[in-house]
Amino acid sequence: MTLRQELEEKLKSLFKLDAFYDDQWNTIERIMKGERVLLIEKTGYGKSLCFQFPAILFDGTTVVFSPLIALMRDQVKKLNSLGIPAKCINSEQSPEENSQIIAAAKLGEVKILYIAPERQENSEWIEATRLLKLSMVVIDEAHCISVWGHDFRPAFRRIINLVKLLPAGLPVLATTATATKKVEADVASQIGGNITILRGNLLRENFRLYVVKVKSEDEKLLWLGQNLDKIPGTGILYTGTRVDTEIYAKWFEYLNLPVIGYNAGLDADSRVAVENGLMDNRWKCVISTNALGMGIDKPDIRFIVHTQIPQSPIHYYQEIGRAGRDGKPTWIILFYNPEDRRLPLSFIEGGRPSVAKYQKVISVIRNELLGEREIARKTNLKQTQIRVIKSDLIEQGIVREVMLGKNKRFEYINQAPALDPRFFEELRASKTSDLDHMIEYVDTTQSRMKYLCNFLGDSMCSEFKNCDNTGLKKIQVVYNEEWHQKLREFREDYFPILEVISKDSSIVNGVAASYYGFSNVGATLHRCKYVTKEEFPDFLLNLTLKAFRKIFGREEFDLVVYVPPTTSGDLVKNFAVRLADLLKIPISHDLVKIRPTSEQKAFENGVLKSDNVKGAFSFVNAQLLSGKRILLVDDIFDSGATVKELGHLFTNFGVEKISPIVIARTVGGDLV
Amino acid sequence: MKNEATYWITLAHLPKWGFGKINALIVRFFHEEKISIEDFFNLSESDWSKRYMLSASDIQALQNAKSELPNNAFLAESLLSQGYQMVPITSPEYSRTLKLNLKATQSPSLLYVKGNRDILHQPSVAIVGSREAAGKSMGFADNIARLASKEYKVVVSGFAKGIDKQALDSAIHYKGQSIIVLPQGIATFNSGFKTYYKQIVDGDLLVLSTFPPKAGWSVPLAMARNPIIYGLADEIFVAESSEKGGTWAGVVDGLRKGRKILVRYPDPGEKNANAVLIQKGGIPVDFNGTEIQNHSFTYPLVISPQASRSLDLQADIPDRIVSALNGKPLTPLEILDICKLNISVGKLMTLLKGMELIQSQKYGKTTKYLLKSRLSAPEQKELFT
Repeated sequence: MTLRQELEEKLKSLFKLDAFYDDQWNTIERIMKGERVLLIEKTGYGKSLCFQFPAILFDGTTVVFSPLIALMRDQVKKLNSLGIPAKCINSEQSPEENSQIIAAAKLGEVKILYIAPERQENSEWIEATRLLKLSMVVIDEAHCISVWGHDFRPAFRRIINLVKLLPAGLPVLATTATATKKVEADVASQIGGNITILRGNLLRENFRLYVVKVKSEDEKLLWLGQNLDKIPGTGILYTGTRVDTEIYAKWFEYLNLPVIGYNAGLDADSRVAVENGLMDNRWKCVISTNALGMGIDKPDIRFIVHTQIPQSPIHYYQEIGRAGRDGKPTWIILFYNPEDRRLPLSFIEGGRPSVAKYQKVISVIRNELLGEREIARKTNLKQTQIRVIKSDLIEQGIVREVMLGKNKRFEYINQAPALDPRFFEELRASKTSDLDHMIEYVDTTQSRMKYLCNFLGDSMCSEFKNCDNTGLKKIQVVYNEEWHQKLREFREDYFPILEVISKDSSIVNGVAASYYGFSNVGATLHRCKYVTKEEFPDFLLNLTLKAFRKIFGREEFDLVVYVPPTTSGDLVKNFAVRLADLLKIPISHDLVKIRPTSEQKAFENGVLKSDNVKGAFSFVNAQLLSGKRILLVDDIFDSGATVKELGHLFTNFGVEKISPIVIARTVGGDLV
Repeated sequence: MKNEATYWITLAHLPKWGFGKINALIVRFFHEEKISIEDFFNLSESDWSKRYMLSASDIQALQNAKSELPNNAFLAESLLSQGYQMVPITSPEYSRTLKLNLKATQSPSLLYVKGNRDILHQPSVAIVGSREAAGKSMGFADNIARLASKEYKVVVSGFAKGIDKQALDSAIHYKGQSIIVLPQGIATFNSGFKTYYKQIVDGDLLVLSTFPPKAGWSVPLAMARNPIIYGLADEIFVAESSEKGGTWAGVVDGLRKGRKILVRYPDPGEKNANAVLIQKGGIPVDFNGTEIQNHSFTYPLVISPQASRSLDLQADIPDRIVSALNGKPLTPLEILDICKLNISVGKLMTLLKGMELIQSQKYGKTTKYLLKSRLSAPEQKELFT
């Protein structure tokens, strides 16, 4: 009996599988010799078996670095059901739970330990590694190592450094489903140590690929409103932004379709609930940003719809790759409105801060050991930009992230090289070119599957007949006046929620009459505040009243209170007076500023915004407030810092409930 | 070097081997066989035994160390990510002064550092002294640090209270460069890295430790650090020493090794042991560190009876012990008997622990002391210069 046959016998008893695929066997054979392997195979191929199987044969513990908590959970559950001792350590478990698992691993009671790369920053974990008997290191989703990939994650840098320090002879396996040739070469050279690359074909025969060209956002909503229910099975709809996630989810709810929204901003419990619901087919569709689905091991996701074009064919392949693992027909639909190009382009171009901003961050870090919040305070840069800058500066060896006790600090590296902007230019050019290829995918008249495979460096693909260019009927958007009317009614009845609820405050989630950028709301506000200085027009009052009725219509209020102005005079006061008058609720003018504040829009990040308003307000007759229910009025809700600060103030004065209402809520800093 | 950090950490802290034995091995594989530390670890046991003449117990120790490599990889990664660097004795970045002063027998095999490593190659002065020092001695430390900084010499400080701290603060104040030699593992110095952030960023400071990175401060480590301070310095200034404690032990050890040690010439009536050290062979210097020629004490020396006793007694004890051990392992009681020592067993044990040449070994329930075994390869001093 050959070694392969012998181990396949074991495979039967351990995993209830008959045989290895050839690439699986090639990988396992090398791993067992202590070699390093990069394995690129499509989703559903069985990459995990390539480490799970040898991990059981090895003496000691295999550590699997994975960025996806959902995937860790799934795999641990599956392994445990086979009687294999596997555990995961992650931020969603309690520290006690994680400590217990670490203790068990130290005793050799865990064969396979899944762990997030960020854990490498945790001192308890590093201490534990002193006593762990390590048999193999696995890097799952290894494309996250490469800045040239679609999902670079800075935390993987430390994993690469670790791998470089591991002794020769300790097996290392890196796996991914999505790597272009460039990413493949980058990952392989970073891992180093005579690594063998094994690449399978990426073709997904069961996919039915469609592209729907539309002229407006309305056309997407209309087609989906009419057809979502007709697509077989359950699936995922990806939008480009969190706000769109909310709008699409509300639209389907309005049409009584069973859907749910999901985004990375949800708390852990809600995320788990949605993921579990998805597994149980509780909804027709989960509406999500691309935060959902990576690594979810659901074999029968029957469709994936994109309402926004992804940044590159590799993003797209990765996102649709989550569907149809069972090999049954799966519908893959991409909507494209030429205007949609703007969003990914703004990520690429606007996502990269100017060189001057980099220098600003460098100069503050040179003088002081700082954390992210202090950097935000000292530079007045957006937190998202600070993160990009920080990550790039680390990449260029100019600053490093150190742990001071439990706190992360950024230190300037003695004798660091100067900032090299050429790297950013190169990266930007590469991403722009990827986006152009994504648009080429939309416009191609050839096989779409073949286009994706070629882009990913898989030239093995032959001709296919599984897209709307090669045999399938094209999707046309047609709708009648009835549907148009439905959409209009939905739009007029839809009000953004202000998520401000918090445990230590009596504030509840509020409502905005509109998004700032919707129709002419933002423009009108801007004109009144800064140009004409005229009162807010009646249509804004009516819209706000509608929002009030929909969200707070059945509640009782004792008092209307408005946010005192910074510069725009009495506009908000007069607006609140008119609103209170119509609602027949007494108005109070007693909320005052006890120190001057700047306009919130002067500050680019939440840290400075909340510093700006902290302790800035007081209430003249505070003793009257106890047990009261307050409707809190303002014109614009941006970071929410002011409203949250007032929530705390009123909570301290014994107010029973604070319900905020504003005219407009901004979306990701579109306030000008 | 970066990728070898795991191996160096593993080799440098081999239990009970001591720097002399480890360095002799490094000389063998690195300079004679010209192979990397990684290749050395990957040799077969028979190579270790035949080519390197390692004993069965040494091979066992190396095998044990080898099994810890993956664990040390995690440690190395976490150290590097915090900006600590590891400088092995084979590296051109390793301090030549240190090698020259401590030789292959006593040079640490691995330095853990953070900050500007170029500082290791500058001319250097150590300013040492008592933790309780005040007044004139502190002024002396400040003045020597000022002069050193002016002459682009690096001030080496042990970061203890009193003189060490004064020397460091002054060097920083006068915009000079300095080295902090830690009495603890480098990863336990967070507050210091916070305090001296700016100096490190500006390249004016190097923090150095020779101990396992996570070892906390302890008396034995503080004692073991003294030879490193002296070894890193081209010139050694003693601001003030009492008749016992770290400074005293360090200076006496330095004098025995033949180092030139500059001792501040005490004023009449000063209650310290500076004068005793001068009598012992220290060179008297004035407030500016200039040697005082043809000095003779024109005033009566204040030497406490305790100091003179310890001077007489302790001076040759280590030598007497070494010669007593030249042959077979002994228990502490046997050592006391053979050497005719009039000290307690506890005191002897402390002394033995502090001696580089001596190691302990269990024989059943009794602990005996013996000279550290030397590798068969002859010491090759020229390879370390």
